[in-house]
Amino acid sequence: MNPMLLAPAGLAALAALALPLLIHLARRQQQRPTVFAALRWLSARPRPRRRLRFDEPWLLAVRLLLVALLALLLAHPVLQGTEDARPRLLVAPGVEPAQVQAARAEAGADARWLAPGFPGLDQPPSASGDGGASLLREFDAALPPEAPLTVLVPRRWQGGDGARLQLSRPVEWRIAGEGTAEEPLERAAPRMAIRYDAAHRAAAGFLRAAAVAWQEADTEGPDSAASAQLPGPEPDVLAWLHAGAPPPEVLGWAGEGGQLLLPMEAELPDGLVAMVAWRDATGAPLLQVAPFGRGRVAQWLRPLAPAQLPQLLEPDFAVALQRLLLPPAAPTLVAASDYHPGTGAAAAPAASIDLRPWLALAIALLALLERWLATSRRRGAMA
Amino acid sequence: MAWNPDDPGLRAQLRGLRIASRRASPLRGGGQHRGRDRGAGLEFSQYRGYEPGDEPRRIDWKLYARSDRFFVREAERDSPLAVWVLLDASASMSQADESRPDLSRLDAARTFAACIAEIALRQGDRAGLAALREDALALVPAAAGTRQRERLLFALRGTGAGGGAPAAERLRPLWERIAADDVVVVLGDFLDPVLPELALRLAAARREVLAIQLLTVAERDFPFDDGRRFIDPESGQALPGDARALRAGFLARFGEAQRALHARFAEAGIRSVVHVLDEPVLRPLQALFGGGTRGGGA
Repeated sequence: MNPMLLAPAGLAALAALALPLLIHLARRQQQRPTVFAALRWLSARPRPRRRLRFDEPWLLAVRLLLVALLALLLAHPVLQGTEDARPRLLVAPGVEPAQVQAARAEAGADARWLAPGFPGLDQPPSASGDGGASLLREFDAALPPEAPLTVLVPRRWQGGDGARLQLSRPVEWRIAGEGTAEEPLERAAPRMAIRYDAAHRAAAGFLRAAAVAWQEADTEGPDSAASAQLPGPEPDVLAWLHAGAPPPEVLGWAGEGGQLLLPMEAELPDGLVAMVAWRDATGAPLLQVAPFGRGRVAQWLRPLAPAQLPQLLEPDFAVALQRLLLPPAAPTLVAASDYHPGTGAAAAPAASIDLRPWLALAIALLALLERWLATSRRRGAMA
Repeated sequence: MAWNPDDPGLRAQLRGLRIASRRASPLRGGGQHRGRDRGAGLEFSQYRGYEPGDEPRRIDWKLYARSDRFFVREAERDSPLAVWVLLDASASMSQADESRPDLSRLDAARTFAACIAEIALRQGDRAGLAALREDALALVPAAAGTRQRERLLFALRGTGAGGGAPAAERLRPLWERIAADDVVVVLGDFLDPVLPELALRLAAARREVLAIQLLTVAERDFPFDDGRRFIDPESGQALPGDARALRAGFLARFGEAQRALHARFAEAGIRSVVHVLDEPVLRPLQALFGGGTRGGGA
């Protein structure tokens, strides 16, 4: 709790304190002429020593206080150091619940999830740990500099980003879970399911060829059927080669995070804003993509025939299509032991309470008091 | 109006008061006062043409020798005592108090003058009035009777304060009018030395002099406590000052000066009283005229 001024130059307005002093002095100096015949005995002493005196000291005091508070208001006073410096515990989503409980009981601190909004640990953990590093920087910046911070992260943390973590304070970096982070990650080859009607039988062939090209050599062929049924095991990409609007269950699947590929004859759902994602060498658009829920909807802008779309016959068609439909994810998975935060970030300015509204209230009350004093004095003098 | 000479209450209160000369001796003669008349009609009034029936001894033979006509000297019947009121009418007499701005020193002085004339005329003495100003000397010759009372009141009504103290030569008519052994009551503030000096000289010249000094409340208490410009009404001099700082010195010096003045009066045989404007009018009158020769004083 230490008060401070954000604009100390405003205190120069304290010079205005001279105004009420002058007003009350000037009244003193205005002298009433008085007829006095016994002047001879008055002037016997040379000149009376005049002490500095003020009329109506209470009114003067209120006015001085009023001016001083106004100057203080200009100086923008704040109260600092009101934040609590309790220790904080941040738990990244993905840590085992048992370890969360243990850490919480041990720390006895203000424990929160490392998730947007920093909910308390009694809330259910959010599903993904995306943007964990960024959230950690945000939390660190908003925290009082003297509050200790403990972060509990899983051994493999889905929260890293391109920069090293640099915080304003040393952090106790706890890694939950046993084992090693060196286990290799397996990324399965993307699978495409194709559903087509009679008009798109030829087009489906090109896509099936691309899907086969995505797979390993010894796996079975892609799930391709001339029907309007949703595929059973969920594929990464669903090519829905039917004219008209896709049925709601297909759109629902896409909204859950699927990648839906539509032919030119299909209709996009209302309200979707699509951007051209693939152009040919002359700049003519070939494919447009629109985000849809957590997934995406892509639509061909040309019929799927080599005459209109020569790219179908290009050797890198399958690779280009995979990169368009399934762009590689940003590398966020880090080994927590390699991601220990360093220090050196500039500490954020401490939060402070702005005292100006309270000051303004006090000034208003004082102004009322001053008016009351001044007018009642005058009324008393007139009566 | 603060001054009302016909105030019946005041006139009734004057009933017990009596003006007496200390020089008068009750052992000499049978009158109330010692007189100087050695025959009838010494105080000359006028000449009148002779009419049959007049006593031949009243004919002024010297005048007959000059004018070849018979004239008769007429004289007033003299009262043994003349009471003169000397009224200071300089500008300082117009001063009033802030607490009561309608009652000036001059108003109080006129009240006293009217009361003294009332007392004197009531006991059959002569009363005269002289209002002393720098520019004029308003004089009502001493006379007795009801009409004299009206004359005095009229003169008092017309008296206004202004100017400074009169010069010595302007006072000469007083010396011609005020005879020895007359009673002279001097009314003034005595802040200027002219009137006290006149009173002392009159006393030294065998006049019976009484003095009523009229002071304002401001001169007694100095009740100011803020910044003032004090202005002398006679000289026009101004003195700015903080009243609170001036008070103690003024009260000490002024009191000292007044004590010295009244001591000089007492030495010269002048009975003097001080009247402050917020005090009852009757008190100085009782002090001077209530108990024979009991003297007042400051």
